[in-house]
Amino acid sequence: MATTRERAPAGWVRLCRADDIGEGQSRGFDPDDEGQDSLFVVRWQGQLHAWRNACPHVQGAPMAWRRDAYLNAAGTRVVCHAHGAEFMPDSGLCVQGPCRGERLIRLELVVDVDGELFVNK
Amino acid sequence: MKIVGLESLVFAVDDVRGAARFLVDYGLTAVDVSDRGGRFEAMDGTAVVIARQDDPALPPGPVPGCRLRKTVMGVADEATLGAIAAELRRDREVRRLPDGSVESIDDCGFVIGFQLTARRPFVLPGEISNAPGGVVFRPVNSLGVPPPGSVIRPRSLSHVVYFVPDVMKAEAFYVNRLGFRCTDRFTGTGPFLQPAGSLDHHTHFLIGAPPHMHGVEHFTFHFGGPSEMITNGYRFVEKGYQAFWGPGRHILGSNWFWYFNSPFGCHIEMDADMDQHDASWQPREATASADNSQTFLLKMRKKWYPGPGIPENGDYA
Ligand code: FES
Ligand SMILES: [Fe+2]
Repeated sequence: MATTRERAPAGWVRLCRADDIGEGQSRGFDPDDEGQDSLFVVRWQGQLHAWRNACPHVQGAPMAWRRDAYLNAAGTRVVCHAHGAEFMPDSGLCVQGPCRGERLIRLELVVDVDGELFVNK
Repeated sequence: MKIVGLESLVFAVDDVRGAARFLVDYGLTAVDVSDRGGRFEAMDGTAVVIARQDDPALPPGPVPGCRLRKTVMGVADEATLGAIAAELRRDREVRRLPDGSVESIDDCGFVIGFQLTARRPFVLPGEISNAPGGVVFRPVNSLGVPPPGSVIRPRSLSHVVYFVPDVMKAEAFYVNRLGFRCTDRFTGTGPFLQPAGSLDHHTHFLIGAPPHMHGVEHFTFHFGGPSEMITNGYRFVEKGYQAFWGPGRHILGSNWFWYFNSPFGCHIEMDADMDQHDASWQPREATASADNSQTFLLKMRKKWYPGPGIPENGDYA
C-alpha cells in the first residue's frame, strides 16, 4: 500500500523515515503525546516490526531501559527491562522469562513511495 | 549470626558500557571499571559489581536468564564468618575464597557470599523536616529542595527482592540458618526480612512466584531523604531512563520508592527514609494489593497555574 505523507488514511500516523532504523536497532514513538512511548519499531533481518510498548507480563508495562533501548546488546531479542523477558523481534513471541509463550501486540506498518514509515494505531 | 546487611550485588551484563553509564547516572561512583566490568559504590562503599556475561569467573544464576549472580552480605567479625560457614557446611558446599570471604548457595538457588563488612562509616545528616513544635530543624537559611546541579549520591545498598518458587522454604533458610527476622508480611506473597545486625525494616523481601518467574524483582540503594531521592529520580528520567512505578511511599517499611527499568533483568529502585525496627517489633500482615503497597503516589505537573500558553483555569487534566 502506498500513501503520501500529507494524507495518511485515518488511523495511520507517520513515524519517521524507514531507513532511519538500521539493522538491529529499535526506536520508540509517542504519536499521541502521552509522555511515554506507546509503541516501538525494530529492524531485524531487514524487516521492520512495530510492537506496542506493553509487556504481557505486567499489563501495560513499558519495556525499554533507556530511550529507544528495547533490544539486547546483540540486537537479536526484544527485551522487557522490567524483569528481563525476551521476545523474538519478528514474531513477538516471548521465548524466555516470566511471560514465556505470550506475545507482544503487533501494529501494522507501511512504507510509502518516498520511504516514509507509517503505523496503524 | 550478626549479618549487618547487603555488601554488594554481582550482575552479568551484555553491555558493560551501557550498564556502567546507567549506574553512574543513577548516582553511584565507578571504581576500577574496564570493558570487562567493574564496581560502582555508594557513599559507604556498598556496591553493584558488573561483569561481562561471558566472564568465566561469574557464578551461575538460579535460572538461565537471571543476571544476578551473587548477593554478598556483610558481617561484623571473623567469628560470625566462621559460624556461618560451619552452619552452612552441615548440608551444602561452602567455599573460602582467596579474599577470605565465604561463598555458598541459598535454598532457592541464589549464590550468596559473606565477608567482613567493608562499609565505611560516615556522618552526613539526612533530610530534616521543619515542623511547628518540632525539636530538630534544618539550620536557618538552609534549603529543603536540592538546588539544581547539586550532587546527589546513594548512601548505602538497601535491599534486594527475590522471586522464589518456594517461599516458605526460602524464608526458613534465611530465618533458621542465617538468623534473619520477619518484620512484616504480605499474606500469600512473602516476608520482609531483617538480618540480626541491622535495624532496617528489610534487606531482603521474598515474593512467592511460579518457577518461570524465579529471579529478581528489584534492588535499591538508600538516599538521604525523599526530596533528594525524588530529585535524583527526575534527573534520571531526564537522562532518558524509563520509570516504572513511583515516586510514592510504601506502607510496610514506610520507605519512599521510585522504580525504574534496568539493563540487569530486574527493576532498580531509589529509596529513602525506611522504618527501623528492633526485636520488640511485632510483624504485621497485609494483602499485597496496590492499595496496601503505596500510601501515596506522586505525579509531576508541568503547568499548575494559569499563565503564558496555559488555559485560563490552569491545567488540571
Ligand atoms: S513487566 Fe515485562 S518482564 Fe515483567
Ligand atoms: Fe523495594
